[in-house]
Amino acid sequence: MCGRTGDSKSGRMFRMIIYRLFPPLRKHLLFNKEKNHDLEDLEMQVVRYKPEGLDVLCRKSKFTRKELQIMYRGFKQECPTGIVNEETFKEIYAQFFPQGDSSAYAHYVFNTFDHDRNGSLSFEEFVMGLSVLSRGTLQERLQWAFNLYDINGDGFITKDEMTDIVSAIYEMMGRFSEPMVDENTTKEHVERVFHKMDINRDGVITFDEFMETCRRDENITKGMAIFDTVL
Amino acid sequence: MASVAAWLPFARASAIGWVPVASNPLPPPMVRQEDRRGDEKITINVSGRVFEVWRTTLEKYPDTLLGSNEKDFFYDEECKDYFFDRDPELFRHILNYYRTGKLHYPKHECLAAYDEELSFFGILPDLIGDCCYEDYRDRKRENQERLIDDKNSENGHLEPVANLRERMWRWFENPHIGTAALVFYYVTGFFIAVSVMANVIETIPCGVIKGTHENPACGERFEAIFFCLDTACVMIFTAEYLLRLYAAPDRCKFMRSVMSVIDVVAILPYYIGLVITDNDDVSGAFVTLRVFRVFRIFKFSRHSQGLRILGYTLKSCASELGFLLFSLTMAIIIFATVMFYAERNVEDTKFISIPEAFWYTIVTMTTLGYGDMVPKTIAGKIVGGLCSLSGVLVIALPVPVIVSNFSRIYHQNQRADKRKAQKKARIARIRMAKNASGAAFISSKKRAEEAMRARESGLEVEDLKNQDTLEMQHHHLLSCLEKTTRRNTDSDQDDLNDIQIRLPTINRSSRSNLNAVSGGGGGGGGGATTPNSKSNNLTVTTAIVTPPTPSTTPETESLLAQTDQSPPPYPQTSSTQTPYTSQNPGDVVKISSL
Repeated sequence: MCGRTGDSKSGRMFRMIIYRLFPPLRKHLLFNKEKNHDLEDLEMQVVRYKPEGLDVLCRKSKFTRKELQIMYRGFKQECPTGIVNEETFKEIYAQFFPQGDSSAYAHYVFNTFDHDRNGSLSFEEFVMGLSVLSRGTLQERLQWAFNLYDINGDGFITKDEMTDIVSAIYEMMGRFSEPMVDENTTKEHVERVFHKMDINRDGVITFDEFMETCRRDENITKGMAIFDTVL
Repeated sequence: MASVAAWLPFARASAIGWVPVASNPLPPPMVRQEDRRGDEKITINVSGRVFEVWRTTLEKYPDTLLGSNEKDFFYDEECKDYFFDRDPELFRHILNYYRTGKLHYPKHECLAAYDEELSFFGILPDLIGDCCYEDYRDRKRENQERLIDDKNSENGHLEPVANLRERMWRWFENPHIGTAALVFYYVTGFFIAVSVMANVIETIPCGVIKGTHENPACGERFEAIFFCLDTACVMIFTAEYLLRLYAAPDRCKFMRSVMSVIDVVAILPYYIGLVITDNDDVSGAFVTLRVFRVFRIFKFSRHSQGLRILGYTLKSCASELGFLLFSLTMAIIIFATVMFYAERNVEDTKFISIPEAFWYTIVTMTTLGYGDMVPKTIAGKIVGGLCSLSGVLVIALPVPVIVSNFSRIYHQNQRADKRKAQKKARIARIRMAKNASGAAFISSKKRAEEAMRARESGLEVEDLKNQDTLEMQHHHLLSCLEKTTRRNTDSDQDDLNDIQIRLPTINRSSRSNLNAVSGGGGGGGGGATTPNSKSNNLTVTTAIVTPPTPSTTPETESLLAQTDQSPPPYPQTSSTQTPYTSQNPGDVVKISSL
């Protein structure tokens, strides 16, 4: 956040020790001209963020005004500053899945929502994501799911990425599931899915392969429609 | 779960990511046919101050009053809002709990009032947020301690006990209540002092014996006198201990208590000495037993409250004392070791071992500095300097904690004593104020009768509505009781004042359920009927001579049974002093005229 990019860890530690033992020296020994200390940094970070107007959002997303109002009220209640950072996101997610560790999956979902990858989720990004998921076409939703699985965003889903996602999902179940979850479970699961989706057997799944497989599978198409939400 | 309801649609939407990798087909969702109630605003009127919230905000906590349908009991149809007759200032905090999910405790509010509000609205005090919870708990503890103090002191004054044993126990515990107890208290105190003084003087050299150069201790010279003194003291102590043991309600508990242990330790050496005085081998051990006689001085703690407080403080600061001890031990060992190795090679050094160095370290750290052991090397001197500096620090640290604990407990006791003293004065003042208002009862009685007389003689009567319905019904109830018991209430009695005192409490507890109070006796529910039909019963004169008796409930019941008959005809005669005989011919109410 502030200009500490040129620091080495040991140099910083040395400075901290000097500052703690001899506080008056802080003013005289201004290494790197850093005027911020831990507490002040925190205060600087509180930024107020205002979303775009209601009409614009209404146009861009598929929600009505009333729905947007309700959504924003809930959003602002939980995040008064107007943006969600990943920590808060993980906390909120954890409340829904108390028995397991949902932080990994929450991380991936966060990245998928966060289009500009700036580490925080604004209300617009939130609304756009939800608009796709609850009101979008099958194609849009499949695109979103593909983006979720494609962690590094290169357009291909490798086996490692798929393993990461699947193990994140299993983690949400928690340790005390019936039957027990171990590494083989995830491996088998990934094998199964990869086998199904990787048509040309080149070790990665492209978007077209993904679409093809999902369209053909009735369970998946039906499943995509389950989570339609009426606010 | 604060406002997660708002995020649930989002969580559901993000679950789309599971679909492509799902092993089994996912179940379809529950479809809700009814149209979801749009979010509407609820108006809550608390003693005139209007609050408005979204319905969903309140529904966040369905196990509270506002979140459940319990609030329907408070719905006002005309104004279309929910009316609560409570404190609006405190309600603000309750509502904030729904809004933010955190319950705060306002520091300037009374804890009891806040607790009442919380219990009214069905919120557990444990939900108070971390920022305010400590403060809340501290104040709650203070209040409870105060209550316990008051209760303890109160109980001492009630309960007349006839049992000799219990009376004796009371005397022992509170010597101030009777002269016998006080005498006993001072006598034992005196003998404790005598015994301790004797122990001390016993060892002073009494003067040179003529003819020799010996200067023996007084105890050896006047052995017989001291022995008699000791015997007398021990007999008194034994008698006291046995009496206490007899009077104690729970003997096992008494025997385990600290004071009784001290008593036993104080008198045992004497008896042991009696038994083994012949055997010379053991007499050495016997002499050391005499050391325990000094424990008699602890018996003084029964006589001194300050000493008890000190003991209690030390007990409650046990952890600080333990910490002090531990850190001192650590420091002593470190410095002693370093000192030993520094001074080892000096000629004729006193630091011959590390335990020897312990003594030096202790003396230096507590800044005593006897000077019997001093370092001679430079390294030793440096270490010695560091030792004394650190000693000051280490000892000074836990001491303020102990001091503040002592101060707190001491002041608490002071406050408790002050409260006890003030309480008597307060009760006396309240009683005087009620005496004044007790006359109001009589005057209202007179008013009712005058109104009756006026109505009888056909005069225009002023609006009876001015009189409080509650008062009229209460009045009527007591009159019924008077009729039942053939007695009249006496204006001079204190009990009458109690009626007036209790009126406000009746208002608080239950408006519709008039429970009669001790002034008039046990009474029944005669006041349930409307005043008009029973106003006949108010024909009672005001000459009040006889004191009220405790209510005879069977009579009241019989009277109530008989009042079910139709009310007797209104006496048309103008004589208002006709005794009321039609209901119960047998029960002629003796009314003495004014």
